[in-house]
Amino acid sequence: MRAQLRSELLKLRTTRTAFWLLLAAAGTVLLEVFADVFSDNLLKISTENEQRVVFGAGTLGALFAAYTGMILVTNEFRYGTIKPTLLFEPRRRVVIGAKLIAVALVGVIFGVIGVALTFAAGFAVLAVRGVDFVVSDGNMALAAGGTIAGCTLCAMVGLAIGALIRHQVGAIVFLAAWFLTFEQILFNAVPSVGRFLPGQATSALGGVTTPHLLVPAVGGIALVAWTLAFVVLGTARTEGGDIA
Amino acid sequence: MSVVLEAAGLTKRFGDVTAVSELSFAVQEGTVTGFLGPNGAGKTTTLRMLLGLAEPTGGEALVFGRRYRELEHPACEVGAVLEASDLHPGRSGRDHLRVLAAAAGVAPSRVDEVLRLVELDAVADRHAGGYSLGMRQRLTLATALLGDPKLLVLDEPANGLDPEGVRWLRDFLRAFGAQGGTVFVSSHLLAEVAQTVDRVVIINRGRLVVQSMLSDLTARVAGTVRVGTTRPEVLEQALREAGVTESEREDGTVRVHGVAAERVGEVALEAGVALRELITESSSLEDVFLELTGGRGG
Repeated sequence: MRAQLRSELLKLRTTRTAFWLLLAAAGTVLLEVFADVFSDNLLKISTENEQRVVFGAGTLGALFAAYTGMILVTNEFRYGTIKPTLLFEPRRRVVIGAKLIAVALVGVIFGVIGVALTFAAGFAVLAVRGVDFVVSDGNMALAAGGTIAGCTLCAMVGLAIGALIRHQVGAIVFLAAWFLTFEQILFNAVPSVGRFLPGQATSALGGVTTPHLLVPAVGGIALVAWTLAFVVLGTARTEGGDIA
Repeated sequence: MSVVLEAAGLTKRFGDVTAVSELSFAVQEGTVTGFLGPNGAGKTTTLRMLLGLAEPTGGEALVFGRRYRELEHPACEVGAVLEASDLHPGRSGRDHLRVLAAAAGVAPSRVDEVLRLVELDAVADRHAGGYSLGMRQRLTLATALLGDPKLLVLDEPANGLDPEGVRWLRDFLRAFGAQGGTVFVSSHLLAEVAQTVDRVVIINRGRLVVQSMLSDLTARVAGTVRVGTTRPEVLEQALREAGVTESEREDGTVRVHGVAAERVGEVALEAGVALRELITESSSLEDVFLELTGGRGG
């Protein structure tokens, strides 16, 4: 397992895809912080609830972490490298396990960078607008921990979806359609159900206080459940069957 | 000599299509064996089953007496060369090897060794997407050699190679065999591997046609000389007098079996028969098939 993990980490480091996705995540998170702070009026942005939304912006990096995870498996099918990979480690469960650990580490990196950027930009932008920082230490810790945990779990969800779909374009479209369209529609239409979906659960875990979101702990449990479900399905799909 | 690769009643069905049917053969240690058959005969499917990439519908595919998935250190026991396109275009050749060396637990210094071995060290840091087909083929071979295996399994390795590349590969496989390694190499062209292999396994439509020494096989089809002349009857008569009995006539062409072209030329000269052409027909795999399955060569 350790040898395979080294191999998977090397795969991530020897192409530029993960780096570009990390850059895109950073850009999106920063944009969100600026948009949150500057779009609200002074009165609103002075409340703790509203400031928690700002400091939970790092959770947006979770989607990019999911894409990074997804790429690590769909690239193998797209370019055929799955064949040498499985020739060198024919125990497919070991390959998937190593990939999961590798992308979990990637998720942590996305989370940590997301938190660092969000906090740095958040404090700076609030200061620029002359707003007092009012979020409690506990809620700041929650934003940090929840963002990192959310990015980590979403990276694993992405990988599992990639293993399930295999076809890269299909998986990219699926992830986008699910997180950016389906979830938003369902969450807006039936929030009592939509809030349990992985994207909304990630926001909740990061302490984002948008109305109808779950409380952080329940959001975390929902996200863990989604991760387990996708990982079980993705692993089962990979375990048997032929590699074209 | 022990068996290193074995198919026992191997069968693979895709829906209604039977790609491989009750296929049984064995590859002995230390031999260079050609795995031959026309395109679509089931060679790649068989190799994929042997290498654990596809599940047999029936029968067994064994490597060193075990299923591939049960091998302890597969990369150190079997080196497989499948499609040359199995590379990430944005990853350098060296990194491609580093990734797999890590998975096999092979020392990183081995990467440089195999790069030198396949003569790719000069371009190793360029993206594989910019490699020529020949370079990709050699990188794939380098991949197979990472674990220093004693058995090489190659699927149509000469496909798309230029003549120089084909010769390089032939010399390489010969050297590998000479050092005691076992090679199992597939091809749809007998001529391509005829100078490399000492044994052949021939399949057609997923079934075994023959498993034999190459020398036995070539003896069955070699020595067909096509002679073009305006006086075929005279030539045939002269050949019979010279003790060559196996020949057949068709318009202005005589096909002579079991004798060298030089001899036919001599006989024609003595008989005063002018020749239009005198050609040793290459023993194409197609001829072998037709020969072996009871059809007429042509």
